[in-house]
Amino acid sequence: MKEQKSIKLIRCGSSSGMGSGGADETVWECVIPYVQDPRDRDAVSLVCKRWYQIDALTRKHVTIALCYTATPERLSRRFPHLESLKLKGKPRAAMFNLIPEDWGGYVTSWVEEIDKSFCRMKALHFRRMIVIDADLEMLAKSPAGKVLEVLKLDKCSGFSTDGLLIIGRLCRNLKTLFMEESTIVEKDGEWLHELALNNTVLENVNFYMTDLTKVRSTDLELMAKNCPSLTSVKISDCDISDLIGFFKAANALEEFGGGSFNEPPGQIGEGVFNEQLGRYSAVSFPPRLCCLGLTYLGKAEMPLIFPIAARLKKLDLLYALLDTAGHCDLLQRCLNLEILETRNVIGDRGLEVLAQFCKKMKRLRIERGADEQEMEDVEGIVSQRGLIALAQGCLDLEYLAVYVSDITNEALECIGRYSKNMCDFRLVLLDREETITDLPLDNGVRSLLIGCEKLRRFALYLRPGGLTDLGLSYIGRYSPKVRWMLLGYVGESDDGLLVFSKGCPSLQKLEMRGCCFSERALAMAAMQLTSLRYLWVQGYRSVNRLDLLKMVRPNWNIELIPARRVYVQDANEQVIFDHPAHILAYYSLVGQRTDFPTTVMPLDPNALLN
Amino acid sequence: MSRSAMELDFFGMEKKLSPPPKPSSFERRRSFRDIQGVVSKINPEVLKTVIANGSFGLNKSGSVPCTPKEDTAFPSLPLHDSTVRQNCDPKKGTETAPMTIFYNGMVAVFDVSPDKAQDILLLAEEEVKKPAESSDSKVTSDQKNILGTLNGDFPIARRQSLQRFLEKRKERSNMVEPYGCPNKHFNFGHMIFS
Repeated sequence: MKEQKSIKLIRCGSSSGMGSGGADETVWECVIPYVQDPRDRDAVSLVCKRWYQIDALTRKHVTIALCYTATPERLSRRFPHLESLKLKGKPRAAMFNLIPEDWGGYVTSWVEEIDKSFCRMKALHFRRMIVIDADLEMLAKSPAGKVLEVLKLDKCSGFSTDGLLIIGRLCRNLKTLFMEESTIVEKDGEWLHELALNNTVLENVNFYMTDLTKVRSTDLELMAKNCPSLTSVKISDCDISDLIGFFKAANALEEFGGGSFNEPPGQIGEGVFNEQLGRYSAVSFPPRLCCLGLTYLGKAEMPLIFPIAARLKKLDLLYALLDTAGHCDLLQRCLNLEILETRNVIGDRGLEVLAQFCKKMKRLRIERGADEQEMEDVEGIVSQRGLIALAQGCLDLEYLAVYVSDITNEALECIGRYSKNMCDFRLVLLDREETITDLPLDNGVRSLLIGCEKLRRFALYLRPGGLTDLGLSYIGRYSPKVRWMLLGYVGESDDGLLVFSKGCPSLQKLEMRGCCFSERALAMAAMQLTSLRYLWVQGYRSVNRLDLLKMVRPNWNIELIPARRVYVQDANEQVIFDHPAHILAYYSLVGQRTDFPTTVMPLDPNALLN
Repeated sequence: MSRSAMELDFFGMEKKLSPPPKPSSFERRRSFRDIQGVVSKINPEVLKTVIANGSFGLNKSGSVPCTPKEDTAFPSLPLHDSTVRQNCDPKKGTETAPMTIFYNGMVAVFDVSPDKAQDILLLAEEEVKKPAESSDSKVTSDQKNILGTLNGDFPIARRQSLQRFLEKRKERSNMVEPYGCPNKHFNFGHMIFS
């Protein structure tokens, strides 16, 4: 084992002043491979210098939550034998089009270091970063390229199918190639052909929610034939009827996402239903398929799923075309469903169906559908009615993210009472309804936080009047384990934020939007939150910009994205997007970054005070 | 000071300016289109919209919450280090450099020529020395400039992936013949996958 080799290195090197050693080393050799949780490793490394060294030499995986907090050189100096690295770049708000595309997060310097120092790197995960073809080429040709098993370009941009071609050609040990939601310049479909030809160990291929259109279904089939372990495939739009061969060949497939159903001709009616089904009747899903998401799945095609509904553990209806009734019809058959993602067209009625039939629900994500009523279902709104039913019916719920049109304190209290396994709760109150049944939500939030003892991640996005300062203080007081929070339009004044920031002992990452706090309160809060290492704020009550200086301190980088007006030329008209200013602040070991685009600026105290 | 396309009456010295009405976002937009802001990044043009919404006379009485506490009522404009990001505006033919202006909690960056920068600095210094001229000494949140009023006024952002799906879905439903032609249909399959 590599760990044993590494520890022997310590033994040889530690000739002076290292104590008895013998028994210690044996214990370490046996124990250290099982200590993999990063928090445990962190604790281990702080005990003494020798344990620090042992951890450093045997650490397998590191996640750098923001790539600008360290440098590649520091990483390789401390963890020379790293096998797995996860890097995150742009703020989360980038997923909502709020961050300039050229904000930063370039992987180039990291790939250069991997090429130079990390010959054992087996798994790479870049999230919201900028990756160029040259990076992919360097990676493929590096020593790590030969051993690389997992490459995840997660919501990345900057590369083209040419880069993927080289990866496909040279990284023959690749088991996972994940590119979901990345922005890829498409030259051709050759990259998939190369991958299919050269690889026999693929397990997971994902180019879901990319706009790749030149991929050939025959290459998918070839890949399925060559890779007997292919377990999960998620693709861009491709008519399902072209995938019949692929489904037949992919015998081990457990997860499939993407594809497409073409629009049934004419008006929906009995004849059309049958015709549509006839077109797709030859589709036969692999025997172990239990995770499914079919783009543009409509009422006409839904019966295709019925035969396998009972064995589905995961269902993705985010990009389906089902109305509320369709959801109810399908979900009542999914007795083993554990993970569901859909839009709020599921409605309260759909949640009641979940509560009644899908007792094993663990993760539920309900996204926001179209605003125009014609595009969705009139029933397609989620409110306290659905949430109460859900909480009472699905007791195993661990993750709930929901866009609601109406809410009450009772619903939140219910969640606090029944959802004892809740680790991640996110609620957004849509802004379409003028009147909400029961605001402010102070008491409900309090009950939820007290009741959900395992809560680690929490998001509450309301409107003015949604949560008072008292409610905000409840969040501070009753969220002992929460590490990440997104707060939108909460509180009434600076006092609320100041009391809030005296609590939240575990809060590492705080995102705030549309709140009314002044720079002074934001700066003081940043100083008071004891675990805070990352702060993102968009929209604040600007009183005195100089107050931001109150949070200036060593190793704390402060960046500003000044307010922007963005003009986008649509086909018919020019659309104006107003982007309020952002503040981004984070701890870093290496000072300000040097790759600011013109839209982002470091807060330089000297310049301000001059 | 005459008003040319590039002049920015940033400090509301033009007496012609009417006191700010309570602008709805629609009205604000209309006046922007009139002013013709065109660029997508921060640009001097953007700040013109600042003018449209009122005076920024500094009130010595201190009742203005936005007045900094220091007696130098307005800190001197911190010029960005021009050696760091010098650029040439080919159209203007002169060298421009970024000028960063912090005002009332807003930050804006402009590419200005040295002459322009000089003008702006002089303006600022004059303003500091002048007595408060605006009769509108009470500053309400409405008086904040456009960049500032953005703070309370922005919609819930939508996830990119869903945004694209909803747009594609709209296109799809627009493509289907409204009166139904049973024999004609779009086979996305052969168009997308060969």
